[in-house]
Amino acid sequence: MVKTNKDRLLEIAVVGEVVHSAVEPLYVTGWDGAPTLGLGRGGIIYNVKPGDPCFGWAWGDKVEPGVSADGTGNDGQKGSFRNFSCVGNQVKIMKGEAKGEAGVVVGKVGYLPGGAHHLVLHFKKETLEKVAIGDKVQVRSVGVGLEFPEHSGVRAVGLSPQLLDVMGLNEKGGKLTVPVAKVIPPEYVGQGSGGAPAESSNWDVMTQSPDAVEFLKELRLGDIVCLKDILTAWGRGYYEGAYTMGVVSCGASVRMGQGLGVTTILTCREGEAIPVLKRGANIAEYLKLGGG
Amino acid sequence: MLRDNRERLLMVAVQGEVVPPSTGGYRTQWDGHPKLALGMGGIKYNLKIGDSCFGWASGDHVEPGVTIRGKEKENPSDCALAHLACIGNEAAVVDGEAKGARGVFTGRHAGADDLVWLPAEAIEKLSIGDKVQVKSLGVGLKLLDYPDVRVNKCSPRLLDSLGIKEKEGRLVVPVVKEVPSFLMGSGIGFGTMTEPVDYDIQTTDPKAVKKYELESLRLGDIVCLKDQLCVNGRGYYKGAFTVGVIIHGSSDFSGHGPGVNPVLSTKDGRLGVELVKRANIADFWGLK
Repeated sequence: MVKTNKDRLLEIAVVGEVVHSAVEPLYVTGWDGAPTLGLGRGGIIYNVKPGDPCFGWAWGDKVEPGVSADGTGNDGQKGSFRNFSCVGNQVKIMKGEAKGEAGVVVGKVGYLPGGAHHLVLHFKKETLEKVAIGDKVQVRSVGVGLEFPEHSGVRAVGLSPQLLDVMGLNEKGGKLTVPVAKVIPPEYVGQGSGGAPAESSNWDVMTQSPDAVEFLKELRLGDIVCLKDILTAWGRGYYEGAYTMGVVSCGASVRMGQGLGVTTILTCREGEAIPVLKRGANIAEYLKLGGG
Repeated sequence: MLRDNRERLLMVAVQGEVVPPSTGGYRTQWDGHPKLALGMGGIKYNLKIGDSCFGWASGDHVEPGVTIRGKEKENPSDCALAHLACIGNEAAVVDGEAKGARGVFTGRHAGADDLVWLPAEAIEKLSIGDKVQVKSLGVGLKLLDYPDVRVNKCSPRLLDSLGIKEKEGRLVVPVVKEVPSFLMGSGIGFGTMTEPVDYDIQTTDPKAVKKYELESLRLGDIVCLKDQLCVNGRGYYKGAFTVGVIIHGSSDFSGHGPGVNPVLSTKDGRLGVELVKRANIADFWGLK
């Protein structure tokens, strides 16, 4: 049993709104110069859910499964929605036809046009049919401040107690072990570098070079992956010996330096938490998300 | 003889204004410590192109010389100055006490800042708010026998100064350092345009700084980025090669470090480098 301080975490309501797809007004130029319209960056996507492939959606670019929402109001209000919400937290629809129905936070995606930032939300199929753009959503945020008293070198970032309890964390030789679907080398890790705070937004695993695509092609939305030599403690950057564990929260991209979004849940500087390869390390299975 | 299309380039005036220094209060470093970062924006009296990228007290992303920004649009990165000015272009102060002083455009820092070298006596007279105009020349520059090599933010003057040789169907460029792709950080994937954005050689892993001897880097150095492609944007591509100019200094913020403006890039193997002790635009043009 891995010890944590989860009984001391504050649970706080944060509010946002279901948003439109984040699209540019013009054609987007792909890495090879080909124009595209870049479909799937948020909004309500009826036919993609955690567990589905990251690659191969027609004209898809950074496809976010299910429903995307962003904070509203001033920077502080937006910041609380983006930073306090954790992967695995419960979300409820507060207004509209789906009022009262619950879902789950499954990822975060930043670096969107106009400074937008999406919380990626999963709802069951019947709810999804009723959700409208503009609906108000409220997250019961809990997870910020999560610590491992016996692993002080491991920092939880945007990890909820709900996911913590089911993702198979264990201990071996004084280290925390984390089941992951893939260990990704640092040369494939792109956009996100230099960004802060660690709690919001995402890393991108670049999907332009053929060797990277070959390496990543089997990954699925919702997979838990490890980014090797990547530190996401007080921002995002390279650090030899560090690890970042995260959840794949959006699909592949044709834009240079962009690709699969990885939302951080754990990080360590000197290998205090180590990855263990496991097929099916995916939040759709862990959180029993079912068909959306 | 390297053939290009320089006689068909348009020369266009673009303008910016000298801006105050940027400060956003304490910002958290990679290791959790706070820092009041110095050296972005404004007029730097004692920091010029050719100086070290490292070691300035409280310095972060230090920008040599004078920092200007385009003003005709809300976001400086959308202004003509950001898109069209090329390294090596002539700059001139067009109002204020330093009016008439001439200098050189030395690069663009993606956040907002366009950088200009001016002579020391002009800098003494310069005021924040003065207008600086650049004769932009270089967008559309092509190497006629190397159509795969993307030329970016590179004036004909810089192209001539790089000391490029042709060897067995490849261009060979003298550079001071080869940087492994995994060290490339902030700015990667940031938009699909190549022109207005630099990206950073990360200096927030002290082990990597030592291993790759990054502390030897100087503002204005010519470097090579391995497995990096900067044709439409910036990112990893195995086998690609990018040559660029260091335009700002090191950083203590996660994922940041000396910024590079790409000037030549290809994935098709027609670009190579030779390591030399000095290759710096301050030396090329006698900027002191």
